[in-house]
Amino acid sequence: MKALYLGTAAMALSMALAGAASAQDQKYTIGISNTVQGNGWREEMICAMKAQALDSGMVDSLNIAHRNTDAAGQLEDIRNLIQAGVDAIVVNPSSADAVNAAIKEATDAGIVVVAVDQAVTEPSAYNISNNQEEYAYLGAKWLFEQMGGEGSVVYMRGAAGAGADNDRDAGFKRALAEYPNVSVAQEVFTGWQQDQGKQQMLDILASGVPFDGVWTSGIDNVIVDAFTESEAPLVPIVGADNAGFVGQLQSVEGLQGAAVTNPGSIGGAGVTLALQILQGQKPAEQTVLVTPEIWDNVSDEGKAKLQGAQNPNLDPEWPVSVSIPDWTTYTTDEVIACKGPGE
Amino acid sequence: MMRGLSRNGWVLGLVGLLILLLIVTKLIQPSFGASGLESVTRAALPFAFATAATAVVVIAGGIDLSVAAMMAVVGVTAAVLMEGAGVTQTWLVVLAVLALGAAMGALNGALVVATRLPDIVVTLAMSFVWEGVALLILKAPGGAATPWLREVILGPIAPGPVVSLIPKSLVVLAVLLMLVWLPLRRSRLGLSIYAIGSDATAAFRSGVSIGATRVAAYAIAGVLVAMGGLSVTLSTGIGEPIPGPYLLAAVAAVVLGGVVLGGGRGGLLGPIVAVFILRIVRLDLTLLSVDPNVTTIVEGTIMAVVVMLGGILAVRGRRA
Repeated sequence: MKALYLGTAAMALSMALAGAASAQDQKYTIGISNTVQGNGWREEMICAMKAQALDSGMVDSLNIAHRNTDAAGQLEDIRNLIQAGVDAIVVNPSSADAVNAAIKEATDAGIVVVAVDQAVTEPSAYNISNNQEEYAYLGAKWLFEQMGGEGSVVYMRGAAGAGADNDRDAGFKRALAEYPNVSVAQEVFTGWQQDQGKQQMLDILASGVPFDGVWTSGIDNVIVDAFTESEAPLVPIVGADNAGFVGQLQSVEGLQGAAVTNPGSIGGAGVTLALQILQGQKPAEQTVLVTPEIWDNVSDEGKAKLQGAQNPNLDPEWPVSVSIPDWTTYTTDEVIACKGPGE
Repeated sequence: MMRGLSRNGWVLGLVGLLILLLIVTKLIQPSFGASGLESVTRAALPFAFATAATAVVVIAGGIDLSVAAMMAVVGVTAAVLMEGAGVTQTWLVVLAVLALGAAMGALNGALVVATRLPDIVVTLAMSFVWEGVALLILKAPGGAATPWLREVILGPIAPGPVVSLIPKSLVVLAVLLMLVWLPLRRSRLGLSIYAIGSDATAAFRSGVSIGATRVAAYAIAGVLVAMGGLSVTLSTGIGEPIPGPYLLAAVAAVVLGGVVLGGGRGGLLGPIVAVFILRIVRLDLTLLSVDPNVTTIVEGTIMAVVVMLGGILAVRGRRA
């Protein structure tokens, strides 16, 4: 036991000294809190945060709390970041209300808090996020239009109980209400898991339920795979701007579809906003919304967008919109490299 | 005598490790003090209750893999019922969800006894059932915890130079665990729980009703789970239908805390100290800004090393 104590102490001390050495500069330290690990979108978000922090030249170190946890775990992570004495915290909140308590503690301690991807209701925090309701509405409207305003659609949602899924559901329902002759043939939760979504689509195809279109909440390329593997006739498919799906929209014969942008690079935008606030440039509004775009492979305009966004170096699960004009300054190669300050 | 010593020795060792970690934390972050302790304790609360629940079932020779899912059911139920509730209604809700926890636990236990399937199979299946139930109650994060009840676990017990170091949440945790554990430990039921975990056949021959004891152990765990679920809802202020990462963390803390996974041996103090150790390790890794993907490796390695060390010590103790 004694040996263990000594070992632990030695390890901790050496780590402490290493940490102290790099804390001499006058630059900022930024904390990051994220609660989903191993998802392409979230990984791109983290890499965008790192790349933007490095590119800005104003960040001394990033303190990243990045694990799979719930809101209570995120409260813990944010409080740990407060203890670490960071200057700003960029958080992808697990829910709009649940982490308010810790965010208030942070802003009370003089820490700038920016919520990305999803807004928080705590008034002392700043928000910069993708408009999730609009995301679903744009894609669903395009799909129903493509179906000629009638028929039935397979509705492949995200994770049951997740805030973004709820917002998207509102947008989908809004579009559905505008097209009274469109009905939902099947509604499933993919849990934003590739394997699960693909299996669900294979099951639906095997069951022979008739449908005229598929709306997916970002689990898209595997759905196209399910169609081609089971040699089923293709129907219009809506997905997100994930690299794999964007590639398919240009290469799969007979596929009509559209990608709705949902940039994971919003993380980089969050870092930019936090740095602006730290330097005294506060935005006019507490919440900044980034509006999604839709790129279809039917119109010439959409085709051009799809072609421009293509990048063979991207992971197929990463969104191709790796940067956001006016908000991110890094290059595509920098975000792919995924290196933060001091790495 | 020797066994008693080695068990206490293990807990004492854990306490020593905890103190050492607190000192290390203070070295890394000189400003670490009352507020830091308070936030660590509050973060530890759901883990501590989940761990206590797991410990009781494991001591009885079982395991409950539906702990986190049951916490989600309790959390959403409390959040839905507490929305806009007055004083009386709030306390009724607290009692109701404790009863709900006991009922869910008892159902788990009854199914284990009735089906004669391994605990791990039954409770794994039930974890999916409880996950679904939580989503039926609340399909997205929502509801609200009664604000004044949230204050019960918030801040130090009183202002002042020394007492401000003691967080309210620590007192709440200690009182609730003692309320459940001390009477149980001294009762015939408590003895029976250890007996069936240690050697079910011998317990049966001494007149212990194995089925009833097992159901009771699961029900008591259910009450502790309910406290855990409540503490999640109180700390976030809303109900979340998706279970948090409490199951594996609880099993880890139970093992680290000196409870033998086969059953019959161990107590509650060790696992609870282990919960705090794991929370402070996470805090230190955040303070040191260690790569997040390395963090889980470090956490896992510490657990493996400590448990292996315990195994070596146990073998040596037996030889001596």
